[in-house]
Amino acid sequence: MKPTISAAVPRVDSHGKTSGDSKYLADYYFPDMLYARTLRSTRARARILAVTVPDLPVGYFYVDHTDLPPGGSNCVEMIKRDWRAFAADLTSFHGETIGMVVGPDRGEILRILDAITVEYEDLEPAVDIDEALALKGGPIHGSDNIFAEINLKKGDPDAAFANAARIVENTYHSGAQEHVYLEPQALAACIVDGKLTIYASTQCPFYIRHSVATALGYAEDQVRIRHTVTGGGFGGKEHYPDVLAVPLAVAVLKTGKPVQLVLSREEDMEVTSKRHPSRIHLRTALDADGNILGMELDTIIDAGAYESSSRVVLQRAVFTGIGVYDIPNVRAHGRAVCTNSVPADAFRGFGAPQGLFAIEMHMSYVAREIGADEDEFRARYFARQGTRTITNGHVYEQVMLPELLERVKRAADYDRKKRACVPGSGRGIGLSFVQHGSGFTGSGERDIIKARVRLRRTESGVVEICASCVEIGQGIDTTHRKVVADALGIPYTEVRLLNTDTDLTPDSGPTCASRSASVVGYLIEQAALKLKARWTEPGLIEVEQQYAQPEEVQWDAETMQGDAYPAYSWGVNCVEVQVDPVTHEVETTGIWTAYEIGRALDELVVKGQIDGGMIQGLGYAHIEKLERKDGRFLQTTMADYAIPTSLDYPSVHSELIDNPYPYGPSGAKGAGEVVLDGAAPAFAMAVQHAIGAPVCRIPVTPEYLLEVSAHDPVHAQR
Amino acid sequence: MSDFFRPATLAEALEIRANHAAVPLAGGTDLLVRYRNWAGTLPKIEKPVVSVGHLSELRGISVHQNGAAPDLSIGAGVTYGELLAHPQVPELLKNSIWWLAAPGLRNVATLAGNLCNASPAADAVCALYALDATVDIAGAGGTRRVPVEEFITGPGRTVLRTDELVTAIHLRPDEGGVVFYQKVGTRKANALSKLSICARASVHAGVLESVGIAVGAVAPTIVRSRDIEATLIGRPVSDIAAHAAEVVSRYEPLVRPISDQRSTAEYRKATALGLIGRFLMERLTG
Repeated sequence: MKPTISAAVPRVDSHGKTSGDSKYLADYYFPDMLYARTLRSTRARARILAVTVPDLPVGYFYVDHTDLPPGGSNCVEMIKRDWRAFAADLTSFHGETIGMVVGPDRGEILRILDAITVEYEDLEPAVDIDEALALKGGPIHGSDNIFAEINLKKGDPDAAFANAARIVENTYHSGAQEHVYLEPQALAACIVDGKLTIYASTQCPFYIRHSVATALGYAEDQVRIRHTVTGGGFGGKEHYPDVLAVPLAVAVLKTGKPVQLVLSREEDMEVTSKRHPSRIHLRTALDADGNILGMELDTIIDAGAYESSSRVVLQRAVFTGIGVYDIPNVRAHGRAVCTNSVPADAFRGFGAPQGLFAIEMHMSYVAREIGADEDEFRARYFARQGTRTITNGHVYEQVMLPELLERVKRAADYDRKKRACVPGSGRGIGLSFVQHGSGFTGSGERDIIKARVRLRRTESGVVEICASCVEIGQGIDTTHRKVVADALGIPYTEVRLLNTDTDLTPDSGPTCASRSASVVGYLIEQAALKLKARWTEPGLIEVEQQYAQPEEVQWDAETMQGDAYPAYSWGVNCVEVQVDPVTHEVETTGIWTAYEIGRALDELVVKGQIDGGMIQGLGYAHIEKLERKDGRFLQTTMADYAIPTSLDYPSVHSELIDNPYPYGPSGAKGAGEVVLDGAAPAFAMAVQHAIGAPVCRIPVTPEYLLEVSAHDPVHAQR
Repeated sequence: MSDFFRPATLAEALEIRANHAAVPLAGGTDLLVRYRNWAGTLPKIEKPVVSVGHLSELRGISVHQNGAAPDLSIGAGVTYGELLAHPQVPELLKNSIWWLAAPGLRNVATLAGNLCNASPAADAVCALYALDATVDIAGAGGTRRVPVEEFITGPGRTVLRTDELVTAIHLRPDEGGVVFYQKVGTRKANALSKLSICARASVHAGVLESVGIAVGAVAPTIVRSRDIEATLIGRPVSDIAAHAAEVVSRYEPLVRPISDQRSTAEYRKATALGLIGRFLMERLTG
């Protein structure tokens, strides 16, 4: 039997990254290169009255909004023009860019920065959801501090709640999360043959081009972005590099020299975007027999000072808000709230982890309240093929949750362990059920991204993939080659993925949401089939493929009705824990997972996603505490913001069930997010069994568990 | 950064200390982190620096049969890695080192450096309190030996004068008995402590003969009460376990933690007292 595409091959980037050969942005040196460091606001909310810059030594420059070229505008346009490139007369969060000092010696740059004084008139900040909704200090955004609001209705929720014998409700909180990509944010820019050229560690070269061109008042093709080897992104390099690229571009225009901007780890942790904190209130209407009649969701995410992609993150949080369940009647209200804090933006899962944590904990809570078994209760409401989604769209594929659950139960010896678990005994085991919509939300692929890819068979017979999906550690360099090789029937070593260069490669959209594998991968596969049909032609052959939305997928962006996602990936997770009764520390003793992701493009790449996603999700659930005080993060070093090491969690057992998706390459759907989504609810579920009390908040720190347990240290052990 | 000295002998190092008040540098794992600076620039140390970790007078671990009381002498340049490899280093100290940082750091970080840093959260220093360690100090005026509890006077403060250096730390070699170490960190490895407890005891025929209980990161300096310990010595351990709550309550006024970016005062206090209880009830009775 011919091995399927899933069979693992050596990753093409593994040698360079493990040997140290790979050249990251900070390894680049351009002749005459200058260094840049940002002057940042030290107020959460203030008017900027004056910036006093001392006389600068020869060769040193101060760059700010006054240096934007004529025709330019002081903005960073991501989805809309909401960020300022430079805070000019007002600052809205601690760490906002005011200006930049540029020069050849970094010690001198620090001395200049120390000598610059900024005069502020302090305004009263609103630093969290409650303060922002109460319009503390007056509105920061619009008249109500609401960046985005969603109202959805499925079925007849009014009737469901009117007829309810009982209503069970609770509130669930989740915290911010820092991406901790291994390579901090880094860009360098210079003029090459008269053209502004930016080298970037990024997920989205074309996003940078758009932001920079918009701010400078240039045509897009007057700016060139070249992708460099990128040490991780997790969503943190989706939009944030734009924020750095605009001031950097202005600095290059002013100085006429190459300029490098590399954030230190501490600066990166202090000022770059984070995962949105959330507060989700869920109400469930039940009939007299304990059947769910309907549900109400009130979802609030803290977006920080600028909107960025918060509208879309909110959409995913709400669209994923009833999890894997078929709930007949639903009302959902969602708000993305503006606060005077570091803007939140994309982070692996993009709103889904927040929504899924809340719904999973709530389903468990409802089950307990009515005396039902939480696993059987949840399984009763599993979505099936044809189920109507929260946006009145369809689940088109066969839902294999029962099969996934069976696999996980068997691997974990779940039923036996669950029977043996005594609530409050210190040992617990829990399950979570998750889904993740593949690719962009709604019709974004068709209406906004309009992805395009090109394949080229060179005269020597090598096939080159020209696209803008970039390798950021997720393995796309390998899997895209495999997709083409598989379609053409050639070895993957005869396929190359060209480094993304906005002058040379077509715009196939951003590298996010697993769309590189599922959406762009499919385009590449289609292009490869076109190429195959022309394979016998002599010499160079080029083929292109443009995105087309699958015909059955219907979405109305105005009413937000229809198929928010064309397909879903599914997962079942099981986590087993032991809680120390004195210290409330949680030891994870087992992790078992099973996923349906269509088909794996490479089992080892997917295993990497599963292991990394689960551990990053457990960090989010457990130890990654990111608190704010007066709009500033308290944990800004790797010592204080702890991410898991290999000692913190055991190995992840994982299984895959194939269920090929007709519009994915070789049947693949997304795998990068669903593998993180279920970690937090499974972990929290296990902990609440271990301690015999509900868990409604992540991260589940020992400090939080002390509060939950109202533990008395002196008398507890009598 | 200003001058950097690399003396050849301890005498030379003391002279540099006396003349320049230079900051001693051994492993640098605290110092260089504290004064870290933008990549490509020098550390932000205002004072001159004198490297001492390489001095042969400060190297090595030795055991002396000092009459009836054998003495383990740990040179100020000895790293955690070297301590872990030595057979006569007390198990309690080794336990604290196992959970400290990561192997790479332990290969350069020194116990004496950690001691002079005088952080109440220093894991291995907590063990030194429980183990009755003493500290050798050398200066132009000669040498002196002070108990560890007197060496550290507050967070980041010690009795070491600017013309002195710590040359060695003395302990009794490993003497077996009951040993209890528990660190509560932000994670399992490479973590700073929210709090930690180091305790050891010798029990003979069910009676407590000696005990040392030290708790880190719950007060300006590491907490050890010889007064409370004195009330326990000579009592049957079963009796101590039965009255553990009363003993723990006597520690209550000494445990005065703060809230910071790593934990809360409430948590630190409750957990520290709980861990003292765990030692008295679960570990002492074996």
